[in-house]
Amino acid sequence: MAEETTIDSAAPLTQSASPAPRRLRAIAVVVAALAILIAAGPFVLDTYMVNILIRAFHYALVALTVDLLWGYAGILTFGQAAFFGIGAYAAALFFTHIGFSPATITLAVVLALLAPALTGLLAGWLSFYPGSTPLYASVVSLAFPIVVTQIIFSGGTFTGSSSGLVGYQVFDLSIEAWFWIAGGALVVCGALAFIFVKSEMARVLVAIRDNEERCSYLGINTPRVKILLTALLAGIAGLAGFSYANFSAVVAPELTSFVFGTELVIYVALGGRGTLIGPVLGTIGIDVLSSYLSGDLPYVWKLIVGLIFIAVIVALPNGMAQLAKIAWRKVARGRGAIVSRPLAVRLHAKPAPAASTARLEIAHVSKSFGSLKVLEGIDLTIVDGELVSLVGPNGAGKTTLMRCISDGRERSGGQVRVNGVDIGSKPPFRIAALGLGRKFQTAGIFESLTVAECLRIACALNDQPSFLHPLEELALPAAAQLVIDVTGLADVLSREARFLSHGQKQALELAMVLALEPRIILLDEPTAGLTKSERARIGRVLVDLVAQYRLAVVLVEHDLDFVREISSRVVVLHQGRIVLDGTVAEVVGSQIVRNIYLGTV
Amino acid sequence: MTITLDIVTTAALLFVVATGLLVIFGVLKIINFAHGAFLTIGAYGALATTAFNLNPWLSFPLAFVIGAAVGLLVERLVVRPLYDRPLDAILATWGLGIVISQFITLGFGREIQFARSPLSGTISVLGETYSAYRLVALAITVAVGIGFAVLIEGTRLGLSARAVIMNEDLARGLGIDTYRVRRMTFVVGCGLAALAGALITPLSSVDPNMGVPWLINAFMLVMVAGSSFVSLALAALILGGAQVVVSSYFSPILGGMTIVLLSAVVLRLRPAGFGRG
Repeated sequence: MAEETTIDSAAPLTQSASPAPRRLRAIAVVVAALAILIAAGPFVLDTYMVNILIRAFHYALVALTVDLLWGYAGILTFGQAAFFGIGAYAAALFFTHIGFSPATITLAVVLALLAPALTGLLAGWLSFYPGSTPLYASVVSLAFPIVVTQIIFSGGTFTGSSSGLVGYQVFDLSIEAWFWIAGGALVVCGALAFIFVKSEMARVLVAIRDNEERCSYLGINTPRVKILLTALLAGIAGLAGFSYANFSAVVAPELTSFVFGTELVIYVALGGRGTLIGPVLGTIGIDVLSSYLSGDLPYVWKLIVGLIFIAVIVALPNGMAQLAKIAWRKVARGRGAIVSRPLAVRLHAKPAPAASTARLEIAHVSKSFGSLKVLEGIDLTIVDGELVSLVGPNGAGKTTLMRCISDGRERSGGQVRVNGVDIGSKPPFRIAALGLGRKFQTAGIFESLTVAECLRIACALNDQPSFLHPLEELALPAAAQLVIDVTGLADVLSREARFLSHGQKQALELAMVLALEPRIILLDEPTAGLTKSERARIGRVLVDLVAQYRLAVVLVEHDLDFVREISSRVVVLHQGRIVLDGTVAEVVGSQIVRNIYLGTV
Repeated sequence: MTITLDIVTTAALLFVVATGLLVIFGVLKIINFAHGAFLTIGAYGALATTAFNLNPWLSFPLAFVIGAAVGLLVERLVVRPLYDRPLDAILATWGLGIVISQFITLGFGREIQFARSPLSGTISVLGETYSAYRLVALAITVAVGIGFAVLIEGTRLGLSARAVIMNEDLARGLGIDTYRVRRMTFVVGCGLAALAGALITPLSSVDPNMGVPWLINAFMLVMVAGSSFVSLALAALILGGAQVVVSSYFSPILGGMTIVLLSAVVLRLRPAGFGRG
């Protein structure tokens, strides 16, 4: 059973020869060009402009972090100002009160990185937990700048209160040097961010943004991903703040204020969220223009920015970059097609199952809402190679039972063992890691990702997505490959999932669940809304999966003809209890079942 | 005794400030971040009654009407296209707040100004002398609360609004003009914000950015309250009370962040807040 077979009828590998070096070369060329511009800057620009640009570069660095959070991970944050401010104050407080020496500089840098990162960890822990909403995360991100500002206000002479700190010793660098440092840091961080957002890992962020529930049922610890991202980007904002405090030689509570937090969001929105370059240019453009115009037209300028901001949010949600993108699309059409390659069959690489190992053991499971009992005394054991259909009228508790199996926090009583492990009160992503995949009733896919990317995310549990490389080649477990071959998804791997037909979406989700390499799969009405031929095809696939890979399949289904054709066993639920558990023939011939469906019981 | 009165009157002010925000959040499911700016509009309305030497009591209806009128314009231009994009609506209305406060700055200047109070002096409550105006503000808040309860429970618009809160698609299917309900709700919410602005004016100074701290506290209270007025009153009383206690016994600066901090923690521990959940 444990053999590793490689299927040789594999589709050809990616044709384009070594795309990675070519991509890196392109990045290197752009970085070099920008480096030349930065190097030349102080010689061609006047001192005022150079000063403004240094500040703008610092702000743009923070705007990059806002873009990664908001544009990619979907977390609208006002909190980056707090982290920037904490970094700036770390420098100012150290150099004011302790002194300026190599030791204190080192300590200050470490503090400017760690203090915001730890605060970010706290913010992340507060913001992201199973069931948290995007709005709540924004609320928390709003609270941090306010709290930090109030702490600074209450710090008296130690923090300089409302007038801030000034006159501390800083690095004795020329204005040119600052320009090169800030500009260089921006280019380097921008390039790193660019590499990251093209990577597989960035697709995970987008997937979480699109459908967090689906991600957690694919074994991804979504709160942890978001918390770590928040902490990391908080640290980077803190370092930018440290540098800014050294350049400007003055810190004030405005640097950490909620208003600065909203300004960063405005820069990102105007430039174009989710584009990196847009937010950077947006920040530099607005900051430079503000410096020149706010002197001549003090209030009118801010009014104009406000009006443009509203107009962009209402009419051009993806900012100025959207215009550029539309133009660019017309020039360069079509990305390189992604080709899939089946992996060696790894299903059985895990401890080989004995002939009929109990895969799923459900004992005395109950679920009640107050006094209403939805499930009561459910006992069910499912072994390898079984295809069990759960049938019963609406409200019988079928979907509730699925939930109780796949989320440890759902049931009110009883025990569930998956692959021999008690699920306790484990969240879905941990149960997925035990080898259980769940397909939802309405296809849960990632709308803005391509089919290949959706499938890649589904493999994340067993195959860590790369932080550096984009998805160039898809390696799928054989069971998932079977589904995409049979249903024709293999031909549309580069298509965005939202453009798929309803049937294709259902098939894609099934393939995603199988890409998780589960031993048990739960399918909630996989054929709902499918045409007759699609339904037959899915039915054949399921029978094949059970026969070839000895998966244990639990299926909720209303279509009794379909159930009869494919099931090896049928369980009838009625009013929260199991009333019959037997072979297809037993159930079909049962008078009780007939009565239930006729409503006479 | 004084602290009890402080707690009750502070809670009342917070309640009246947050009411407009809650109404809009409940029905439109969006957060009106221009709420602080509407508050400021109301405050400058009160300032105008002072400037033109009108009866200061007139400032309340005047503020409501101005706020509602601006709200009507804004709903059409900014809010309606964003019904399906709640996070974007936060941003657009924040931009609107900037625009409004810049218009006010251009019109009235950026300096701090004071409006005349309709009522000054103190009266004696159970042996304590207490600001008469704060008690009047409390009475007006209770009146607004009752008026609102009547509007929601007793009128056709209120019934439609409740239907939209519970299930908008179904309400539309039943022939309720949900767009009209949204528009009216937004207008009323903006009017209430301006009224609240006029109400707090005699207790504080007036400047173009005065609304921001109020906006943040009101926002937090609404998040904690969900979409229920009873929960909002409860939240205002408990969190506002905590703010008064912290400000009086520890430090006013810490008091300034009490509501924000407590709300965030309450929501983390109990996502339904003070509402049923």
